Amino acid sequence: MAFESLDPRIKRWNLSLQRNEEYQSADLDQLPTYEVFLQMRDGKAYEHAGIVHAATADMAFVFAKEQFSRRYTCTGMWVVLSERVWVTDCMELEENVYDHIVDTSINADGPQEEYEIFHLMKRGKQHKHAGTVGTTGHQQAILQAKTQFDDGTPVLNIWTAKKADISATDAEDQVIWSTLKDKTHREVISYRAGDRLKAFKERQNG
Amino acid sequence: MYGGGNIFEATKFDNLTQEDPVKLDEFEARIARGEKIEPSDWMPALYRKQLIRMIEQHANSEIIGALPEGTWITRAPGFKRKMALMAKVQDEVGHAQLLYSAAETLGKSREQMMQDLINGRSKYSNIFNYPAFTWADSTIISWLVDAGAIVNQLANSKGSYGPYCRALERICAEESFHLKYGHHAVIHLATGSKIQREMVQDALNRWWPPMMHFFGPPDRISVHTEVLTKWKVKMATNDECRQQFLDMYVPKIWELELTVPDPNLKKNEQTRQWEYTEPDWEEFIRVINGDGPCNKERLAVRRNAEERGRWVRQALLTPEAKYVTPLA
Amino acid sequence: MDRAGGNIALKEFLYKIADDLLILGHRNSEWTGIGPLLEEDIAFSSMAQDKIGQSLALYQLLHELGEEDPDKVAFMRKAGEFRNCQLVELPIAEYEFSLVRHFLFDHSIFLRFQELSNSSYHPLAMVAKKLVGELRYHVLHANTFTKKLGTATEESIRRMQAALDEAIPYSLGIFEPSPYEQELIDMGIFSGERLLCQTWEQEVMNIIRQTSLKMPDIDRDQAKTGGRSGIHTEYLQLLLDEMSEVFKLDPGAEW
Repeated sequence: MAFESLDPRIKRWNLSLQRNEEYQSADLDQLPTYEVFLQMRDGKAYEHAGIVHAATADMAFVFAKEQFSRRYTCTGMWVVLSERVWVTDCMELEENVYDHIVDTSINADGPQEEYEIFHLMKRGKQHKHAGTVGTTGHQQAILQAKTQFDDGTPVLNIWTAKKADISATDAEDQVIWSTLKDKTHREVISYRAGDRLKAFKERQNG
Repeated sequence: MYGGGNIFEATKFDNLTQEDPVKLDEFEARIARGEKIEPSDWMPALYRKQLIRMIEQHANSEIIGALPEGTWITRAPGFKRKMALMAKVQDEVGHAQLLYSAAETLGKSREQMMQDLINGRSKYSNIFNYPAFTWADSTIISWLVDAGAIVNQLANSKGSYGPYCRALERICAEESFHLKYGHHAVIHLATGSKIQREMVQDALNRWWPPMMHFFGPPDRISVHTEVLTKWKVKMATNDECRQQFLDMYVPKIWELELTVPDPNLKKNEQTRQWEYTEPDWEEFIRVINGDGPCNKERLAVRRNAEERGRWVRQALLTPEAKYVTPLA
Repeated sequence: MDRAGGNIALKEFLYKIADDLLILGHRNSEWTGIGPLLEEDIAFSSMAQDKIGQSLALYQLLHELGEEDPDKVAFMRKAGEFRNCQLVELPIAEYEFSLVRHFLFDHSIFLRFQELSNSSYHPLAMVAKKLVGELRYHVLHANTFTKKLGTATEESIRRMQAALDEAIPYSLGIFEPSPYEQELIDMGIFSGERLLCQTWEQEVMNIIRQTSLKMPDIDRDQAKTGGRSGIHTEYLQLLLDEMSEVFKLDPGAEW
């Protein structure tokens, strides 16, 4: 049964409204997810922004740039497969997850790699990059982070990921954000109609 | 954008007797303190279920909501409107992405959510089942439907679930442009030529009744949702939202010398409440259950978009690809 | 160089690029809300907005040179007055066609803008310099997708190949030289379509080589030209009718 859509794009599709069989999406139809971190200004800590579904890190970067930095100029972006991020338990109010870290590493041998550490300081906020540690595993990374980053301030939750698992933009990528501030069509400032409204009211009352 | 026509299931209180009472107490105490629940926290099954349903409905509303305004993207008059409408509809797709992502943290995959939407198993805001006949319709939607959505979103942004609140924060920031753009476009029509004025008045006449349905049935006939209020899942009543909307926007409509097609609409100066002709709730039920002017089209379009895109997504998969619930 | 001499050549040059960007931006915007994947929907829409914004910047240059205001120029001209290549006016078809068109065209406009950043016509150089950064992203997106879809599955390769076969003759129309070609080169506006086309072919082949796709034999005689002198397919007038439908209800009105 054909129908006439009001949307000329849809009209060109010649859609049928009658479909007897149920729609079946495939497993993993929408791809794995990558966690996205943004650096809003040079020197500031990277902060978690959300996720994108993507096939590869390159694609995740391309997608994250549009989804998370359409409006606000950034200086850097990191993406990492959700699967590659290790997380601790989430603490109660004022508890410090570092006070609950137990050293369960049986042996700490292995190649030294860099691990990025992210802290959640308050429920409802986003994880922020705290720093980098060099060690042999994710569990060790959190232990190491305790010695380097625990200053007694309660940290509610920690994420850690191998630096090698994180794809990062570099300084020369910053040019892709260079015209963002000119895209005023997405900004409130472009839609001032106060004068027009005022003139209209004067005409109606005059 | 999304509407308060959330269909909350009548909560079965005996479900909670299955839950660990100590954990339940701690969970409820956390919420009462104003702290957010994060994905790795213990939560009652009912909380998880209702949240998934609510966030999913909101996400569905965004992706379906892209369609009525999308109708006018290729015909937007002038560069300014053309780019603005493209950006606005793009934002809606972006909001859908943010919201599906938030729901995913609760354990339901985006595939499953898309499937349930297309097969009619999950709902979306009823208002998008109506047709956008003219350019003016698109401007009324951009202004008033977004205004309604903002009322809901602001309320929900104070809710208890961390990922949803974070998504709403981003969404609210973008919505301010939507509202300004919509208002700007309507002002131009209402203060413009005769053709423009007539077009926008006509659009308002047609969209007013669905707008009165937007926040859902009146509190007195709504499903009981006390536990959801206690858990800060439902943050404001339908009537509260509707009154807030009327208070903020009816004066703005009237200042444009447009008429609202309800002769009974007025603010009672003693009660400070807006009075209006009771909307037709039978129609609301009919439309939300599938019998509206555009229901079939909206879902057919979504289905078609997914099917046509299947080869792209399949091609993007890598053999090592694996899906895990996202983190936050 | 801001002399009035050579103005016709310059204006025609600006029109063709602006028209390319407007028409392609318009076509690509048709995918907003109905794309194959939410993230890609969002990305494609951003790029479409960028293109329309870029066309506006060029129409503004034309306005400064005495042409009508951008809205009039975009929404009131007839198909025969447009100078876009035929490639950009073709329907969006299936996603593979839109992607391949995006890949082929965006490489050309990126190269063109890089070159124009050093144009002797200063206002144009300023615009090009500013916009070249966003085009870098567009090309990155196009390359990522072409490489992936050009290698992934039997279906994706088949679709992309068919789209490439169809699009290549049209893409040669991008480089159709203008009657004022030599004048533009002599004035230092740019280095000519022929050179641009050569560089473009290399860039495109660099990517195609990394896929299972084959570049069709480029027979210059089969190039779909004519767009640069206002000869278009039937699709352009239909597109313009749609695009200007509301605007023309009241062309003098402020929308």
